[in-house]
Amino acid sequence: MTTTSITQLQPAPVYSSAEYVERLISGGTLLPNTPENLKEVVGVLKAYGVVLDAYAINLQYIANHQFLNLIPIFKYFDGEITPEKVIKHLWHNRINYEYAEYVMRTMMWHGGGGLDAYLDSEDFWACCAPAIQAKARRNPILFAFNKLFPEYLPEQVRQLAYYSGLGQFWRVMSDIFMDLSEQYEQGNIKSINAVVEFVKAGLVADAARPITYSVTIGGTPYDIIPPSIGLTFLPDTAVPYVESIFFRGTPFFGTVSYNAQAQQIPIDQAQFGYGALFADPLPIGGAGIPPTLLMQDMRHYVPDYLTELYETSVRGQDDVRVQLSQSFQKSMFCVTEAAVRGLMPYPADTADPKERVLNQDYLNGWMKRLTESRLDVVQSHSDN
Amino acid sequence: MILSALILIPLIGALLIGVWPTAVDSNQVRRGALITLAVNLVVTIVLITQFDISNPDFQFIEQLNWIEALGLTYSLGVDGISLPLVVINSLLCFVSVYISNEVKRPRLYYPMLLLIASAVAGAFLAQNLLLFFLFYELELIPLYLLIAIWGGARRGYAATKFLIYTAFSGALILAAFLGLALLSETGSFDYNPSLVQGLTMFQQTLLMGFLLIGFGIKIPLVPFHTWLPDAHVEASTPISVLLAGVLLKLGTYGVLRFCVGLFPEAWMKIAPLLAWWAVVSVLYGSLAAIAQTDMKKMVAYSSVGHMGYILLAASAANPLSILGTVLQMVSHGLISALMFLLVGVVYKKTGTRDLNVLRGLMAPERGLPFIGSLMVLGAMASAGIPGMMGFISEFIVFRGSFESHAPQTLLCMVGSGLTAVYFLLMINRVFFGRLTAAPDDVGGTIEVTLPKVSWRDRVPALLLVLIIFAFGLQPEWMTRWVESTTTSFVPGAMRAATLVSQPSISQSSISQFQTTQSTKPLQQVATKQHNEPKAETISSESTPLAFAPLL
Repeated sequence: MTTTSITQLQPAPVYSSAEYVERLISGGTLLPNTPENLKEVVGVLKAYGVVLDAYAINLQYIANHQFLNLIPIFKYFDGEITPEKVIKHLWHNRINYEYAEYVMRTMMWHGGGGLDAYLDSEDFWACCAPAIQAKARRNPILFAFNKLFPEYLPEQVRQLAYYSGLGQFWRVMSDIFMDLSEQYEQGNIKSINAVVEFVKAGLVADAARPITYSVTIGGTPYDIIPPSIGLTFLPDTAVPYVESIFFRGTPFFGTVSYNAQAQQIPIDQAQFGYGALFADPLPIGGAGIPPTLLMQDMRHYVPDYLTELYETSVRGQDDVRVQLSQSFQKSMFCVTEAAVRGLMPYPADTADPKERVLNQDYLNGWMKRLTESRLDVVQSHSDN
Repeated sequence: MILSALILIPLIGALLIGVWPTAVDSNQVRRGALITLAVNLVVTIVLITQFDISNPDFQFIEQLNWIEALGLTYSLGVDGISLPLVVINSLLCFVSVYISNEVKRPRLYYPMLLLIASAVAGAFLAQNLLLFFLFYELELIPLYLLIAIWGGARRGYAATKFLIYTAFSGALILAAFLGLALLSETGSFDYNPSLVQGLTMFQQTLLMGFLLIGFGIKIPLVPFHTWLPDAHVEASTPISVLLAGVLLKLGTYGVLRFCVGLFPEAWMKIAPLLAWWAVVSVLYGSLAAIAQTDMKKMVAYSSVGHMGYILLAASAANPLSILGTVLQMVSHGLISALMFLLVGVVYKKTGTRDLNVLRGLMAPERGLPFIGSLMVLGAMASAGIPGMMGFISEFIVFRGSFESHAPQTLLCMVGSGLTAVYFLLMINRVFFGRLTAAPDDVGGTIEVTLPKVSWRDRVPALLLVLIIFAFGLQPEWMTRWVESTTTSFVPGAMRAATLVSQPSISQSSISQFQTTQSTKPLQQVATKQHNEPKAETISSESTPLAFAPLL
C-alpha cells in the first residue's frame, strides 16, 4: 500500500463500560463535551423538532380523522387537499410521513409498557367495539368485513392507538427540542451536560401527562384509551419508545444484508440491536431505508450554524444525510442519557454506599445493553 | 497537408511550451497543451469529414524526398485502418492532458505528452518503412521520461524495463525493414506490398518473424508482456490512458500493416500457429488478471488478454476478421482508457488500488457512486455485453475467425468469459458491500470518508462511455470508415489460402459468401446476396487490384 488518506485514519478506540459508568456517576456525559458535539446535537435536535412536530400532527390526524378508513389515500394531507399539495406529495420533496409510520409499526411490534398491555386487555375490547360498530353502521363494507374477520378491525384500532400514542409522545418531545434550541440560541445552553439536563427536565415535567385517545364518529365521541386507564407519558410511551426505537429497532435493508436462517438476526426479539443507537449511519441513501427518510426530512430544517459545520467536512454538503445521521445518533445518546439519569434509583452524588452500589448496578445494566452500540464510535467522531 | 498538420501541430505546441521565454505557471501550460490538442482534434474532425469512405486506398497522400540515399522519404497517407487509430490518438491525447493536473515540471511534462501525440500520429500515417520506424522510436523517449519522472515508487525500474523491451522491439523491426530493403534489392523503404515478390518463402517468413516479435513485444503478446503491468502500475493515470489506449495499438497496427500487409503468404502459412499464440495470450492474460490484487495490474493484464483477440483476427485474415481487428483496436483503446481513467480516480481519492483494502466504494454520498457505476459499465463493455462497443468488436473478431480457426476462436471466447470473472471480482470487492477500508497495518476495518469527486474527474470517463455506447448501438458509424479498406486489405493470394484451408465447405459457396461480405458494408450483405450475387462476384475479382496504385 502506498501513501494514503486511509492509513492516516485509525480505528475508534475501544472503551470499557466501566469507564462510562464512572463518567456518569462523576457528572460527565456519554457524549464527549466538545463545542462541535454541542452544535451538532442542538442543531440536529432543532431540525428533528420541526420534523417531529409535523409527524406528531399527522399521526394524530390519522388517528383522529382517518379512523378505520380502509383506503386512506389522503392520510398525509392533514385534511387539506389542494392540487399543489398533491403535486408536492407525488414529487416527494416533502415531509416523509412514512417514516413516522415505520416508527409506529416498530413500536407496536416490539410492544412493552402500559399501552401494549392495555391493547391486549378486555378493557380495550370494551372500548373499541362500540366505535367499530358506530363506524360499521355507516359503511356496509366495514360491516361485512367485521362480520367476516372480527379480529381485523380491532387490530386496526390497536394500530390507530399507537398512531395516537406516538403522536402524543412526539408532541412533547418536539416541544422539548424546540425549547432546547431556543435556549441554546439565547446562550443558556453551553455544554452537553446542559443539553442532557434540559431534556431530562422536560421528560420529568411531562412524566405523568396522561395518554388518552378518543374519536368522534357521527358527532358522538368514543373513548379508545379512556383517561380512566391511567396511561401516562413516561412509562407507557417514552420508555417503550426508547426500548423499541433506540435499542431494538428492526434490521433494514442496506448495503449489508442479513441471513435470518443463519440466525444473523436474533430469534428473541428482545435481543434485537438495530435501533437508533446501533444503526450504521452509512447504508442510507437507498430507497426504502427508513432512517434515510428521516434524514431527508431533517435536511430541510438544518440551522445555519450546523450547515456551516457540515460544510467544513470532507464531502461538504454532498453527504449531508450521513452527517445528519451521525449527529442524530449523538443527540439520541444524549436523550438516552437523559432517560437513564431520570430513571436512576438514587441521586448520582449520593453519599450512602448502599445507594451507590445500587446506582452502579443500575448503570451497569444500561451500559451492558450499550456494549454493541455506536457509543464508542461517537467518542471520536471528528473526521466528518 | 492535413496529415502533416496532425504531426506538426502537437510538435509546434510542444516546442512553444518548451521554449516560451517568460515564466508560465502550470495551469497556463496545461491550457496551452489543451488548446494545441483541441486544434489537433478539430483537424482530425476535418480529416474525417473529407475522408472518402468508398476509397479503400491511402488518401491525402503527401510525399517529400528526405534522404534519398537512404531511401527515406517523408510520405504520409491514411486509409480505413489508420484513420480510426489517428482519431483515437487525437482524442485520448486530449483526454490525458485534460486529466493531468498539478503536475510537477509542467514545461517538460506537457511537451512530452504532445510529442507522443505527434509521434504516434506520424507512425500511423507513415508510408515509408524508415519513417514509420523513426516515429515508432521517437514515441519511446517521451514515454520513458513520463514514466521515469512522473511515475510511482518503482518508476525507475518500470521505465527502464519498458525502454529495454521496446528498444529491442524497435531493433527487431529495423532489422526486418533493412533486411527487406536489402533482400528485395530495391533499396527502397516505401511501403509497397510488391517488395516481397522476389523473396523466397524462407526469407519472407524470417523477416516477418522479426517483425512479429518486434510488434509482439509492443502489443504485448505473452511471453513478451511483462513490461506492461509494471509500466502501467508505475505510470500516472494520463500516461496509462495513453499507453493502453493508443501506444499498444502501434504494435497491432504494425502487425496488420507490415506483417499481414507485406508478407501475406508467409503470414497465411503460419496463421494457425499465430492463432494458437493468440489463445495463449488471451488465456494467460485473463487468468493472470484474475490473480491480481492491484486494480491497475488487473486492467493491464486484461489488456494483454484483449490484445490477443487482435492477433486471432489478424491470423484469420479474411475481410470480416480484418474489420474485427480494427474495431477491436478502437474498442480496446476506448474501454481500456476508460478503465484506467476510473482506476485513476479511485486511486486519487482513496490513495490505494489494493483490492484487499478497498470496500464498498459504491456507497452513496460518502463513496464514489458515479465512478463506480461507470466502472460497472466499463467492465460490461470489456466483457462484451451487447449494446456496447466491446460486444461488436469481439463478435466480429470471433465471427471472422471462427471459420478458419475454430478451436482457437472457441478458446479465445473463454477469455471473454474470464473478463467478466476478473472484472466482477474487482467490482464486487471494491465497489460493493459497506464502505470501509481494511488496511494492512491497522487491524480490522475503519470508517472512510472519501473526498469529493469533481466533474473534471467524471467528464472524460463519461465521454468515453457515451462513445462506447454509441458505437455499440450503431456500429455502422464506425465500420463505414473502415470497411472499404479492410475488405480489400486481404490480397487474393491470401484469400485463396483461406479457401484451401476449408475443404469441408464448397468453394463456390465460400467465395460467394466472402465476396458479398467483402465488397459491401455489413448491413447490405443480406439484401445484396439475394439480388445480384453474380455482379458481386465480378467486383470481388477486382478487389485485389485495389492494391494496384501501390504496386
